[in-house]
Amino acid sequence: MSSAAALAAGESPVAPAGGSASRRRRRGAIWEPSALLFVGPSVLLAVAFLILPMLGSFYYSTRKVSPLSGTSTPRGLDNYTTMLSDPTFLRALLNTALFTVITVPLSMGLGLALAVLMNSVLPWRKVWRTVVYLPLVISGVSVGLIGTFLYNEVIGVVNKLLLALGANGGIPWQSNGFWAFTSVVLVTIWIRVGFSMIIYLAALQAVPGDLYEAASLEGANGWQQFRHITFPLVGPATFFLIIMNVIYSFQVFDTIFVLTNGGPGNSTEVLGTWAYKVAFGPTRDQGYGAAIGVVIFVLTLIFTIVQWRANRNRDVVA
Amino acid sequence: MSLNRRQVLAGGLGLGAAVGLGACSGLTSKAGSTAPSSGASGGSGPVELTFVNWSGDAEKAAFDAVIAKFQQANPGITIKTDTVPYASVQTNLDTRFQAGNPPDLFRVSYIDMGQYTSQDVLLDLSDSLDANAFEPGLFQAVVANGKPYGAPHQIDTTAILYRKDAFEAAGITDVPTTLEEAWTWEQFSEAADKLAKVTKKGQSAFIYDWQSAGAYRWLSWLFEAGGALLTPDLKSAAIDSDAGRKALDFTKGFFDKGWVAKNTSVKSTTYPDSAFISGTVAMAFAGSFLVPAVDVGVKKKFEYGAMPQPRDVAASTDLGGNAVVAPKDGKNTEAAAKFLQFLVSEESMRTYCQATNELPTLKSLTSAQLDFDIRPDLMAPFVLQAKTLTPEQVSQVTVPQFADLNLALQNELEKAFLGGRSSADTATALAAAVQKALQ
Repeated sequence: MSSAAALAAGESPVAPAGGSASRRRRRGAIWEPSALLFVGPSVLLAVAFLILPMLGSFYYSTRKVSPLSGTSTPRGLDNYTTMLSDPTFLRALLNTALFTVITVPLSMGLGLALAVLMNSVLPWRKVWRTVVYLPLVISGVSVGLIGTFLYNEVIGVVNKLLLALGANGGIPWQSNGFWAFTSVVLVTIWIRVGFSMIIYLAALQAVPGDLYEAASLEGANGWQQFRHITFPLVGPATFFLIIMNVIYSFQVFDTIFVLTNGGPGNSTEVLGTWAYKVAFGPTRDQGYGAAIGVVIFVLTLIFTIVQWRANRNRDVVA
Repeated sequence: MSLNRRQVLAGGLGLGAAVGLGACSGLTSKAGSTAPSSGASGGSGPVELTFVNWSGDAEKAAFDAVIAKFQQANPGITIKTDTVPYASVQTNLDTRFQAGNPPDLFRVSYIDMGQYTSQDVLLDLSDSLDANAFEPGLFQAVVANGKPYGAPHQIDTTAILYRKDAFEAAGITDVPTTLEEAWTWEQFSEAADKLAKVTKKGQSAFIYDWQSAGAYRWLSWLFEAGGALLTPDLKSAAIDSDAGRKALDFTKGFFDKGWVAKNTSVKSTTYPDSAFISGTVAMAFAGSFLVPAVDVGVKKKFEYGAMPQPRDVAASTDLGGNAVVAPKDGKNTEAAAKFLQFLVSEESMRTYCQATNELPTLKSLTSAQLDFDIRPDLMAPFVLQAKTLTPEQVSQVTVPQFADLNLALQNELEKAFLGGRSSADTATALAAAVQKALQ
């Protein structure tokens, strides 16, 4: 059983689409019932905790849900039209986009720079690598809490440090929208930079050293080597990171929820926190909350499809 | 009420963590109401009741004591308490209700009562409670359509805790002790100015307890100015008025003049108890139920006293406090009603309030001298303050839509306090938001 099962299970993800697959089926497809045992648990978990809840969200996004009885009445697309006239939703959408546009390139750029550094002859680089990666291992809530100790504008570490360095007054991290947003971005980059670094580091180690040797023989300087060898060759990692980071940024919730809770005003409200507040806050409008969830899903899906297509085309061109 | 929650949150435990925990308990706890129900209606067989609540340390101990006494008197009934963080209690209850398995008893803030009575899910306690035994204004908080749907267990109101050393440094000597002597808004302003001059960097003159779900406590200023949130028929907004703009002007000034720290606005998570304990404020507007925790936290680092809130046209305060209710479809409603009756009996209420520095709702106790366990010397202003609540004001903050009104207050006040929006614009925006929520 083991060889057939391994074949069945192992082959499916890489089975080429179209012609060859149907050819094989004609030949008598490799069908081994025990394969079900292997994929069963994952499929069951995915269905129970991902697919069904997702379908549930789609369903509830067209309903008005009574918070106590759980019964719902149809609302058509009202939940979606409400969004268009909900200033907080629009602000959250804008904030989410802004947050994504700022955090993704910054965390990836820094991650790549650090990866190049760690890939070189830096002393104690294993220690540095761990230090940079560590925030990712901590839960988002804890990171948010650490952020509140750093960025509290009265008793926070950052402001105390600024005062000690002779600044006139502290920075209004909590009462000024711009600075609150900045604090969220800084904390996010601190978390995410380690992830980008690790992925880039793995990609860098796959870049053949003789390319650099050849380039330096041709007289290419360091920057040129980076620009024309390193950067293109870590391309697949870049695409992977863009997708992962954009999804992460679109779904950001825990850190912001704990660090600023969307405030001051709505200046750090993002789609994730607003959906939660709508569905489980005092108003408990779970239908509307589900609709916002669907919007996050659709936006992420669109982006992923676009990115995936671009990625494929690029590989073909290359 | 909402302050108890604060205590839970104040340590910075984090909403997210709390929410996570709440969700878990909602999903996994097996409510005891599924336990033997045979004979429950007869009141003879053994019955286990589940009681969902949130509590500070003092409250938890006081609840346990009342429950122990009840169980002694009613050998057939045991009560299992399920203490959850305030921030997640609503989600917890929603999940239990949706699963068709609500707890037999649960604690509800007065301002949240409307959410349950409007859905008609609570047990009518007309036969168990004597309306005449309670302060009429306070009893109003649990009444819907003329019937009581909860046991009005306790109230708490806001008064001012102040540091004696700060007052001395600022040269403030006329500390009021009665409502008649309470500072006017002008006197309060003078005091805040003086305090702001003597406070160091990182300190401020005072903190007001309007953070998060406490946003509605801003209404105390509105009521003091002689204004109202809703019209007498409770059908439309009455806030876009001279009194409304005056209250907005005055409270916006707290931020503009630097009397309060900017990170103590309505959406903040910096609460009065932690600010007062950490020594960053000279005065804290705080509920009496915070006194036990404040007293432990201050540890005699400085001397402090209590005084009534300032007054303008009138003296006022907020309706804090909680009822305990039972769902009408519970399996053990008779036993639950029996417990609620016991909980608000004179003896139980007295011991509970004395242990927690909270205030009673029974007429016989509001006129009596309670022997509070912790810093009884501080309690007089709170007790006096409680008498300023009128039934009209109570009915405004217990309408079914109050959760939305509270949220509207939070959103719109934040824009005035930190966003620099004018009082006139804010009053108009508030009226519109209130109107929308009422529909």
